Amino acid sequence: MNEIALPVAQAAELRARLTHDGGALVAKLSGTADLRVTDSVEAILNRVHQKALELAISEVQMDLRELEFMNSSCFKSFVSWISEVSDLTAGQYRIRFLSNPSILWQRRSLHALSCFAAELVTIEASN
Amino acid sequence: MPAPSARRDLGFCEISFEKRPELVSIVRRFVSDFYDRTLDDPDATSRVALATHELLENAVKYSRDGRAKVRIEVTGFGERVRVRIKTRNRAEPADAEHIQRTIDEMRSMDANVYYLTLMRRNAARTDGSGLGLARIHAEAEMAMSVRCRNGTITVSAETEVLLARRKEGAA
Repeated sequence: MNEIALPVAQAAELRARLTHDGGALVAKLSGTADLRVTDSVEAILNRVHQKALELAISEVQMDLRELEFMNSSCFKSFVSWISEVSDLTAGQYRIRFLSNPSILWQRRSLHALSCFAAELVTIEASN
Repeated sequence: MPAPSARRDLGFCEISFEKRPELVSIVRRFVSDFYDRTLDDPDATSRVALATHELLENAVKYSRDGRAKVRIEVTGFGERVRVRIKTRNRAEPADAEHIQRTIDEMRSMDANVYYLTLMRRNAARTDGSGLGLARIHAEAEMAMSVRCRNGTITVSAETEVLLARRKEGAA
C-alpha cells in the first residue's frame, strides 16, 4: 500500500489519509469538517482528483466512516469535485462513499450527492 | 393530564459568543445532547443539530461585530413537538434581503429539487457554498424565515416532530 502525501497538515479537527493499493485509490477523512478546514478539504479533494487521473483509476473510495460532521462549505467542495469528474470526457472514474449508518447526517447528505450524480456516485454503509 | 393541544415547554437554551469558529462545533455537540434528551428521536436530533450548526456558522461568519447568539426552543403541542432555532447577529439590511430572496426562491419549488438545482448552479462557485440554507430546508426539513430590525438580523428555522414518529423511532 502506497501512502500519498496530502497538501495539508494533519489537524486535530480533521485528519486525512490517501493511499493507493493495487487498482484502488482510497481517501479517508476523520474528525470534523467545518469552517476551520474548508480550504484543506478542497485541497485534499483536488489532490485525490489529480492522483486518480494520473494513475488512471476507475474508482475512488472516499471513506467517511469516522467523519463526525461536515458543514455546507465542505459539502460544496464535494459537489465541485463530483461535478469536475462528471465533466471529464476522458479518464472519468466512479466515486464510492463508505458511510457510517450510525452517523445520521451522512445518510441525507450522501443521498443528496448520489442524486446529484447518480451515474458516478455509489454509497456503501458499514460500521 | 394536559389537554391534547396544551403547550408544554420541553426545553430552552440560549447561547451567545464571540467570533470563534471552533465554538460552532462545540455548540453543535452540546445542543445535540440537548436535542437528544428533549426529542428522544435520533433522526430528528441529527436534523436539527445540522441546522443549528449551519445557522450558527452563518451568524458567526457574517456578523458585523463578530458576535452571534443562538436560541433554541422545544415545545410540545399534543402529539407534536416543535423545534425552533433562531440566530441573531448584527448585519446590513442587504444581508437580510439576500437571505429573504433565497428563502423566497426556496419556497417556490420542492425542497430537494431546489437543493439539487443550487448544487448544480454553485458547483463552480468559489465564494462560499451558498448551500447552507437549502441544506437546512432539504436535509433538516425545516421551514426558514428572516427578519431584520435595527441592524440585527434574525434567521429562524422550525420543524415539528410527531410523537407517533418518536415512538416508532424508539421501537
